[in-house]
Amino acid sequence: MPALMMQPDLSNLEVTGAVRTAALNSWRETGWPGPRAETWRYTRLDGVSNRQLTLATTLAPTADGGGVSAAVELGAHVLRIVDGIVDVASLDGLPLGLTCGMLADDQAAQDALAALAPENHPVSALSMAVMSCGLVLDVDGMVDRPLMLSFEGANDRVSAHPAVLVRMAPGARMVMAEWHQSSVGLSAPLIGLDIGANARLDFAKIQIEGGSTAHIAATGVRLHESAVLAGFSLSVGGELARLETHVTMAGSDADCQLSAIYLGRGQQHHDITTMLHHAVGHCKSDQVIRGVLDDRARGVYQGKVRVAEDAQKTDGQQMSRALLLSRKAEADAKPELEIYADDVICAHGATVGELDATQMFYLTSRGIPEAQARGMLIEAFLIDAIETVEHDGLGQMLRKVAEAWMSKTGIAEDRADHG
Amino acid sequence: MTALLEIRDLHASVGDQPILKGINLTLNAGEVHAIMGPNGSGKSTMSYVLAGRDGYEVTGGDVLINGESVLEMSPDERARAGMFLAFQYPVELPGVGGMSFLRAAVNARRLEAGEEEVDQLAFVKMVRAKARDLGISDDMLKRAVNVGFSGGEKKRYEILQMALLEPVIAVLDETDSGLDVDALKIVSDGVNMLRSPERTMLVITHYQRLLNHIVPDYVHILADGRIRRSGGKELALEVEESGYAGIDDAA
Repeated sequence: MPALMMQPDLSNLEVTGAVRTAALNSWRETGWPGPRAETWRYTRLDGVSNRQLTLATTLAPTADGGGVSAAVELGAHVLRIVDGIVDVASLDGLPLGLTCGMLADDQAAQDALAALAPENHPVSALSMAVMSCGLVLDVDGMVDRPLMLSFEGANDRVSAHPAVLVRMAPGARMVMAEWHQSSVGLSAPLIGLDIGANARLDFAKIQIEGGSTAHIAATGVRLHESAVLAGFSLSVGGELARLETHVTMAGSDADCQLSAIYLGRGQQHHDITTMLHHAVGHCKSDQVIRGVLDDRARGVYQGKVRVAEDAQKTDGQQMSRALLLSRKAEADAKPELEIYADDVICAHGATVGELDATQMFYLTSRGIPEAQARGMLIEAFLIDAIETVEHDGLGQMLRKVAEAWMSKTGIAEDRADHG
Repeated sequence: MTALLEIRDLHASVGDQPILKGINLTLNAGEVHAIMGPNGSGKSTMSYVLAGRDGYEVTGGDVLINGESVLEMSPDERARAGMFLAFQYPVELPGVGGMSFLRAAVNARRLEAGEEEVDQLAFVKMVRAKARDLGISDDMLKRAVNVGFSGGEKKRYEILQMALLEPVIAVLDETDSGLDVDALKIVSDGVNMLRSPERTMLVITHYQRLLNHIVPDYVHILADGRIRRSGGKELALEVEESGYAGIDDAA
């Protein structure tokens, strides 16, 4: 496709600096992956590349998004990003231990983010080049309140390209959430998390975009010695969503929890793609993935664990389970182990199933209405994943969003049909 | 007086296989009936057909609770109409907390009756009291439904559910299977405590020994999908002496 026709329309984009120039060139060269790209086999982007999309130029006034009210319960500071543009007022009064700089002015930080960003991912190039807002968040010591990044926007012609680099100093601690709830045409966040030695990040991402939004996220993580990422993603919104996370275990004794739940209905498409690279030994990674798909929804989990030759004593686990509530729903899983070391404990697995008819009969034989019984079994199915979340506030936030999803179709307690 | 449960010329199939071939039974309030029969006689099929399980197709006849046909009702509707089935093999529900399961079941019944949902604290108290009578520990109550329970614990948990749901018709499917003598006594005592002039019970069993503990008013012998003989409790002893073979010959 000629670069001029490629979406979003970048004809007015001015790019400065070597990193962004290189990113723009790379984007113009490769663009959106086509149907033959192996890692995009299950997730086709025709519907995205055909949209007419432009970049926002000014901060649009919006009502508070769902992320803002969720932040209140979490006791979090909210940093608002609307149509991909940061609301600078929300940079005031940051929690203690957190400072924010501008990525556009910081070549070294751009270099660092480029190094973290998932390789060969279209958003790694596109959002680095566009950088509709670029933030560098430096974390030192114990951050005294959680941080909520609230991604909003109401214009379906907008293509949003926020780029955020989080750098945690050795020993730092923070609780952070990303809340994506917009109705922009394309939401394409590029996030880098650099977690220093002995630092710990409790992290949750909520993808609850509007029904016609495409959400294509690229997240890169690096864990240094004894660093901990306790991470979780919940993908329930959007028309098409791909949450791709690449993690490098760069220091020994690092621990990465990267679990996820996707919940789809209608014609939604959810894709969770992860790449866990154990570059050094004595590290642990664990992924508990659960998906529930109704109607004609489709779910994809691609998880690769790569263990380098010298990364002995690696413990790498991933388990994906999908639950289909409808005959027309579909789940694909591609777990991969690529192991070059010989002394490791690695396991992976993937299952796809339906609700158990015997369990349903047992519940309903006790008088529990069918819709409620289904809800109870779905909740039970998700519990292994939810229970990986150690931070109470984040866990409650995730449960609430999942419960809201279930109550929407009356999967959960809906007694209207059973009066 | 209308019977609590009336089974009229009931025919049922599983797949293409006819299993029940014309069963007639009338259970009045206060009565305990036992159904005995050899393996493959249709005992468990009968319990599933009464509870309305998918895949158990009624091909003829009728089942009435309080004079109303329940064949068009789903399992949950039948349960809320007062039917309870104690499972031969209680089902494990990993991830489903025991207390929330019990509360959901009790609340479904109460809402049907136009009552308020049960108060949580009062409910916990009530469950603990009834659980204690059945030798069910607090630890068991906290676990996921039936997960990690021994065979005997599962059966006691069935009776606990029955005690909480206070059904008008209780069907106990081989409640004695897998129980040692002590567990059999606990379970039977639990069942006997629930005998009441407002309730009827259908006790399905292969062996006579359960009926030493839960003494029935009537005994029916089921073989090849039909009731071959009916009588009082002494019929169970006769089966114990001469086996089912004699019964079959007599039919």
